[in-house]
Amino acid sequence: MKKLIYIIIFGITASVVLSGLRSFKSDSEYDLESFAELPVQVGGRIKPLDSVARNTLLLLSGRQKVVTAEGTELSPIQWFMDLTMRPEIADNYPIFKIEFPDDLGLAGLAKEGERYYSFNELLPFSEELRKLHSEVDPEPKKRSAYDNQIVDINNGLMRYHRIMHSLHPIGGADRLDKLDEEYQSYVLMITPGMAELRKQQAGQDYDADRLNRFIAFADDYLKLSQTALLRVVPPPAPIDPLEDWKNIGLELLDVMKGDALSPYVTSYASLTMDYRAGNADAFNQKVAELRQRFIADFPNSIGRVHFERLFNAFQPFYIAMQLYVLVFLIVCISWLRWPQELSRCAFWLILLAFGIHTFGLLSRMYIQERYGVFVTNLYSSAVFVGWGAVLLGALIEKFYKNGIGAAMASLVGFCTLIVAHHLSMSGDTMEMMRAVLDSNFWLATHVTVITFGYSAMFLAGALALVFVAFGVFSRKFNKETARSLSAMVYGITCFATLFSLVGTILGGIWADQSWGRFWGWDPKENGALMIVVMGAIFLHARWGGICRERGLMSLAICGNIITAWSWFGTNLLGVGLHSYGFTDSGFYWLLAFWSSQCIFIATALLPWRYWRSEFGQSNYRKQRKRILIAAEDA
Amino acid sequence: MKSLFQFFSSLKLTVVLLAFSMMLIFFGTLDQVQYGIWHTQQLYFESFIAVWAYPEQAAGYDQLFWLRIPMPGGYLLGGLLFINLLAAHFTRFKMTWQKSGIFLGHFGLILLLVSELMTDLLSKESQMPVDEGGRSNYSQSHRANELVLIDRSHPDYDSVHAIPASLLKPGKPIEVPNTPLSIRTVSYYPNATIGRATNGAPTESPATRGAAVKMGIVVTPQPVGYADNDINTATAYVEVFQGEESLGTWLVSNVIDERFPPQMVEAGNSKWEIALRFQRQYYPFEIELIDFSHDKYPGTEIPYNYSSEVKIHHQDSTKNQKALIYMNHPLRYEGLTFYQASFANQDRTSIFQVVRNPGWLLPYISVLLMGLGMCVQFGMHFVKFLRKRQ
Repeated sequence: MKKLIYIIIFGITASVVLSGLRSFKSDSEYDLESFAELPVQVGGRIKPLDSVARNTLLLLSGRQKVVTAEGTELSPIQWFMDLTMRPEIADNYPIFKIEFPDDLGLAGLAKEGERYYSFNELLPFSEELRKLHSEVDPEPKKRSAYDNQIVDINNGLMRYHRIMHSLHPIGGADRLDKLDEEYQSYVLMITPGMAELRKQQAGQDYDADRLNRFIAFADDYLKLSQTALLRVVPPPAPIDPLEDWKNIGLELLDVMKGDALSPYVTSYASLTMDYRAGNADAFNQKVAELRQRFIADFPNSIGRVHFERLFNAFQPFYIAMQLYVLVFLIVCISWLRWPQELSRCAFWLILLAFGIHTFGLLSRMYIQERYGVFVTNLYSSAVFVGWGAVLLGALIEKFYKNGIGAAMASLVGFCTLIVAHHLSMSGDTMEMMRAVLDSNFWLATHVTVITFGYSAMFLAGALALVFVAFGVFSRKFNKETARSLSAMVYGITCFATLFSLVGTILGGIWADQSWGRFWGWDPKENGALMIVVMGAIFLHARWGGICRERGLMSLAICGNIITAWSWFGTNLLGVGLHSYGFTDSGFYWLLAFWSSQCIFIATALLPWRYWRSEFGQSNYRKQRKRILIAAEDA
Repeated sequence: MKSLFQFFSSLKLTVVLLAFSMMLIFFGTLDQVQYGIWHTQQLYFESFIAVWAYPEQAAGYDQLFWLRIPMPGGYLLGGLLFINLLAAHFTRFKMTWQKSGIFLGHFGLILLLVSELMTDLLSKESQMPVDEGGRSNYSQSHRANELVLIDRSHPDYDSVHAIPASLLKPGKPIEVPNTPLSIRTVSYYPNATIGRATNGAPTESPATRGAAVKMGIVVTPQPVGYADNDINTATAYVEVFQGEESLGTWLVSNVIDERFPPQMVEAGNSKWEIALRFQRQYYPFEIELIDFSHDKYPGTEIPYNYSSEVKIHHQDSTKNQKALIYMNHPLRYEGLTFYQASFANQDRTSIFQVVRNPGWLLPYISVLLMGLGMCVQFGMHFVKFLRKRQ
């Protein structure tokens, strides 16, 4: 039996981890991996096209895959290739996620039970959508959910259009199948075209037909330069890493100034033609050439770009999330059957999940070239809060070996990664830091320490939830467990208070260094201070004997409320120096979380006679005895 | 007496005060949405009593407009915590090694409370804009104003007679020191909009001299704005006297600045320029901005650095120096700290935040003590815990 348990759990774990590794390579005849690694300059750094494809899909669909009307599943890069190279097909892919299509008031759009719509399905309504969009309040905070949906669809359509035009001009098949001819005739036309233009301006005789053809090109490319979203054309060698890359339209326009047309432009044109013709071998060869050129131009970047694609495919946080669920289930079962085997499995599994979680964090550091910096934005803070809680939870598990540490670690780890997943929908999670924040030293110290304080606070709160739930509902819960749980909560709260205090202090020093005041009562600073004060209240209440176990547990759950406020609530206010991530729906989630915690506090304060546990009942007996003695005395 | 001492040294009081502090911080954060940081700070943290009112913008205001929550303000709570802490240490604590962490931490906290109070009372912030290639020897407040009368008759220097705007109470005469002049404020508006009267509309203005008369300026008072980037247009009508004789009434405002021809007050052979402007602080040195740069990440509009190369020309030339002021790297000079705060004028003007805070070092010491104290205390707990397990 023992062996069987181990084998089953090993099997499940292996299948979860392997699912990540499997997605490194596709079985397409096209070399999708090399294409996915072609570079593009976005938000100040060089990324693989793969990241752009995934981020765009997340923004439009809220997921990293496309399911066509026929039920075929496409990877983000396959979709990106179709979008840019075979737009007539991509326009039929249902990728625009509309949560409430019936509420839009567009007659004939909504399909029963369907949340994903294709560009072609939205096309007939584009005029109407534009009109609705123009009526929306320009101030984002004043928009209703309906307004937001309209804005999202419009922005999505705009982005779709601009990404589509990123590699070359878009047109019908007659144009896309002959891109190289188009570029050749354009390059040949520049000298005579400019000559005619000069003649016209000087008032001399000129060839109107030739000039008009030239101007038609120029007009078209000017429009393209305003539409194309991605900067895919690096400057010619020698390369300066701080130089701006160009989008395709700008590069074509600049040829008029006498620059040679970048080989990146012509390569994308021939890639497109090969892809459209179904010529996989030629496509693969040209992708390889393009990749070699990039390696030659950017020898320092290729490693990072390659790694970023693997990181995208592996999705370590998603795997860690699945493992946390697994750990939680195993611990729950272990409380009913096979406690020894299962809690051993749970401990090793939580270490594995923690390892993968850590790998994800380190990978982000490598890609962003910010070593030691765990947290750069709200998304990464969510990832890190979970990581810190799991670290502490695993330590507790090591000391107490009763499954509680592992269960709560996995619960907090899972919840925070879910939060992170939802935050990642808003775009790139590895954007550059604005000037004031661009300080690896302070990001690595102040932000990391304070976020670790959140982790500890949440873990203490989660342990207090266990205390309340088991104390009120489980018969098994005795004095011994109560004592060890409250010791855990106390220890973790000490940690949390220390880290929050030191983090807040470091923030003060940073503030003093960068704008001349140690403390400015900024909302985020205040939030951090509230956590410190909460910790101080807990510790003083315990030291002074003001609260007994369940009072302290209520305070620890209060800590959850305060920490959630400090972490998310202060950002919702939209004021201050730290308001870097405004999320509207976040407000309702915050309220829901607060209400749930209040319910727990109310439960904790139930009179002892409603506590079903041994611990609660013994307290009830003690209380009655006291009352009796008091009555007798009277 | 003893019970009073007991009350002030009790841990229960500590917990209650801490709970109130949390409440104060929470509501003080909420109100920043309406009042901005600066004003909220005065209402909540630099006061004895604070009252939170249900905000007008919030949902359900029609039902809850009456809701007010009074609470002790920052000074009161800080003061009580201070007393509580001192009393506790005098009565309950004995200096032992076991308690050394607690002592260190609490001492750090006391120092922090003191330093915060010092900063509130003593620190001064102002701004100094300098153009590339230009120099400046003063910084200006962006809230406080002053009425100035400037005598520019001396070839080497100007004499500036400044009266803080807070003294400009209507009807109250003020002697201008070292001049034969005195002034009387006709009216003062902390914020106003100033515009030219539309053609033909009658302008009712107390002004009898200066720009207001020449240009037909009308003043519309406005409520004071508190948002962090709000600039209030302080405006006043001021009557100037020489002895008993009125020389006229001028309209002055902090938007009627160097861009306009100066408004002159003439008495006998002497002339003074009269103006209301942001309060200035002059220094015995000039800061020359050699170059300002504003770098962006490639292919984006996201800034990654602002920096100003400056040269300081002191009256005492041994104190001259060059410096590069950039993000997170201020210049500390003569008890002042210069921060790269902002820029203007298509990247040709750099704006420095100039801070004088004599207590700036105290928080560093106090937080070091607090951190150390907690590490010692929890470290001892942890070691005990490990020993017990073994």
